[in-house]
Amino acid sequence: MDRREFLKTAAVAGASLALPGLLLPDGSAAAAEKLDMVVAKGPSPARITRAAVDAFGGMRRFVSRGDVVVIKPNIGWDRTPEYAATTNPEVVGTLVRLCFEAGAKKVKVFDHTVSSPRRAYKQSGIADAAGAAGAELSFVEDRKFREMKIQGETLKSWPLYTEVFEADKIINVPIAKVHGTSILTLGMKNWMGVMGGSRGRIHQRIDPCLVDMARTVRPTLVVLDAVRILVANGPTGGDLSDVRLMNTVAVSQDQVAMDAFGSTLFGLREDALGCVRLGHQAGLGNMRLARQKIRRIQA
Amino acid sequence: MIRKARLASQALFLLLFLWLFLQTESKGADQLGYPVKFFLDADPLLALTAILSSRSFLPSMLLAGAVALATVFLGRFFCGWICPLGTLHNLAGAAVRKRRRVVPKGSFRLKYLLLVFLLASSAFTLQITGIFDPLSLLIRSLSLSVYPAFQYGVTSFLDVLSRWPVPGLAPAADWLLGILYKGVLSLRQPAFSQGFLLGILFMGILALNWIERRYWCRYLCPLGALLGILSRRSLLSRSVSEGCDSCGACVPGCEGGCFPQSPDKWRKAECYLCGNCDDACPKNAVSFGFGKKRGAAQLDLGRRRVVAAAAAGVAAVPLLRIGPSGTGQADPRLIRPPGSLEEREFLQRCVKCGECMKVCITGGLQPALTEASLEGLWSPVLVPRVGYCEYRCTLCGQVCPTGAIRRLSPEEKADVKIGLAMIDPGRCLPWAHGIFCIVCEEVCPTPKKAVLLEEVVVKDREGMPVTVKQPRVDLERCIGCGICENRCPVLGKPAIRVLSVGESRSRDNRLLLP
Ligand code: SF4
Ligand code: SF4
Repeated sequence: MDRREFLKTAAVAGASLALPGLLLPDGSAAAAEKLDMVVAKGPSPARITRAAVDAFGGMRRFVSRGDVVVIKPNIGWDRTPEYAATTNPEVVGTLVRLCFEAGAKKVKVFDHTVSSPRRAYKQSGIADAAGAAGAELSFVEDRKFREMKIQGETLKSWPLYTEVFEADKIINVPIAKVHGTSILTLGMKNWMGVMGGSRGRIHQRIDPCLVDMARTVRPTLVVLDAVRILVANGPTGGDLSDVRLMNTVAVSQDQVAMDAFGSTLFGLREDALGCVRLGHQAGLGNMRLARQKIRRIQA
Repeated sequence: MIRKARLASQALFLLLFLWLFLQTESKGADQLGYPVKFFLDADPLLALTAILSSRSFLPSMLLAGAVALATVFLGRFFCGWICPLGTLHNLAGAAVRKRRRVVPKGSFRLKYLLLVFLLASSAFTLQITGIFDPLSLLIRSLSLSVYPAFQYGVTSFLDVLSRWPVPGLAPAADWLLGILYKGVLSLRQPAFSQGFLLGILFMGILALNWIERRYWCRYLCPLGALLGILSRRSLLSRSVSEGCDSCGACVPGCEGGCFPQSPDKWRKAECYLCGNCDDACPKNAVSFGFGKKRGAAQLDLGRRRVVAAAAAGVAAVPLLRIGPSGTGQADPRLIRPPGSLEEREFLQRCVKCGECMKVCITGGLQPALTEASLEGLWSPVLVPRVGYCEYRCTLCGQVCPTGAIRRLSPEEKADVKIGLAMIDPGRCLPWAHGIFCIVCEEVCPTPKKAVLLEEVVVKDREGMPVTVKQPRVDLERCIGCGICENRCPVLGKPAIRVLSVGESRSRDNRLLLP
């Protein structure tokens, strides 16, 4: 993909963000139109995921017939789901199903893992859950990274994963957990998983870099997995006493708002994260949760 | 008839061998699901010398005993019908039209003398059999050299093709790669520090077929020698009827160089039961069967030669051990895989087959050159900059055929230290340069992080205060897995490095009081 093509895709992705408000397929969505976020709570990860998306207007509002959808969970580590180091497999599996129900042609699931990819995919349970739902799972391949221009303040260009930009729709599905540098890792941090090259260097100026990435990859939806959250020794975890059961899934289109909301789950202020403040200032989203219409449901 | 059956058997076992070789790779679960070390387990030479050198029995080697026993009855069927290296020799030899026979008479004794040498050295605790053992040699050569070269060749060839400005080429190459990655290619390009050397050696061994058919098997293979000795009185045997007039039609086809044209000079211990003489005989005078007359030449090695070979084997023990690492000071780079026995015992068992290096999911296990003295040549060493030890992986212990690397449960493994990380504050970004980093802390996999962060205020070059987090390693929690060194963004020489000190398997190579 060359630069012109990339800019075109970025523009299309940007436009699709504005569209859903105009093209509401059914009545139920009309009510949802004004919602900024839905937060669902309940004991079944699959059920609350479905309920949250439905309350937000249903997947049909975001995914059209024939779409190729990329779902980007956090599969960074070789951990099993109970350690809350990777996105809940049931949440991912349910999203895959919802996309297909909305008519998606293909749903791709992948992540640029930190642990060995084979182990991370398998042990996280995501390979099995997403695979059973019909998703196309693939390991990230070096040859599919291309150096891309980034209209960022810190990052000017970086090798990014082409499949993300070739998709019609992108759904970001981070898990909420703590991190030594960025305090928490939530939605914007999850974009590190589409970066190639020597991405460890990002940590040197983590917040502006994350905002630059959020500028570059505009998700159709952000679905925050807070079924279990990791409150210490993140992002790898490994100790069950650091895991809190929250039974929560949140859905929004606003990356900044979602990360602001994620912070509150850890007892932090909504503007606790540097990337949230910078993203808000840059107009990427709205971190003021009090000024948003958030619907909380029980499922 | 015999020949056809033999060819079928060879093809079958070669395919089985290659299949198991390809399965010696993590698929994400912590078990491989296939008995990938099957051929090594069935190897009587490895079993015998490992039992001698380690002074313990290895339960996995019952299979080897069965092969030895079968050889006593059936002769060297293993060489002719099973051994994948032998089959490769056949294939390589088939490419040669004309041979210049320059092998001195009596060369066939060499392999017996090598066997005596190896048995003597292993009786005195040295385990270098795997350097010469055909199965170990084959797996090592394939793992560390042929397979990596194959993968590199295929992927870069297709890559070059796909860049040609021909429509349809790129998607076709892509499609083919996709298929190859499913079963044949490895997810990550394998890379080993001595791949080139091992590749040259392997090609040299195959090239010997140019001088003589199955040169390696006839003159060098110590496993062949052992099986030859075992087969001397086997019941299954070749016999020649009166019709034979020593015309010599069977000579060129004879794989073992057994002197088949002469009923009394025929060397039974060299016969692989290949059946080529049966096929070639114009008089139909040759037959294979049980309880046939067993007239055959004695195996005469010469007493002096045997004594000399044994003496050399004994002398090799101190000679190979007088490297600096034999002095009791552990080499800091000698990071052994988790579950490895204490170094002395480890070396007495490790046969350098390369199974652990093939299976290591990160590619961090590399063949040693001098880190462990010459005795430890090609034994596995973790090189963190190349690949770290994956926290919950236990595969190397599962594939080790001799138990040099113990099989650990994931819970046991969590307590095993293979080394210790230390930070170099002169290179570490937050320590030396006031720049944010902490990648080492992020990736550290221990449940309570072994890298601690301390928030400090330092001054930038304008004298303005900046807050950074400086990492420090908790010496008790660190297990030496090396992912921190692997991922440290300070390139060249990383700012956090893992060395072997602190390894649980050693009583002495420790920093802290227990
Ligand atoms: S060294 Fe570690 S990662 Fe490699 S095979 Fe052994 S246990 Fe697995
Ligand atoms: S070697 Fe590094 S990453 Fe591994 S346990 Fe020690 S400090 Fe952690």
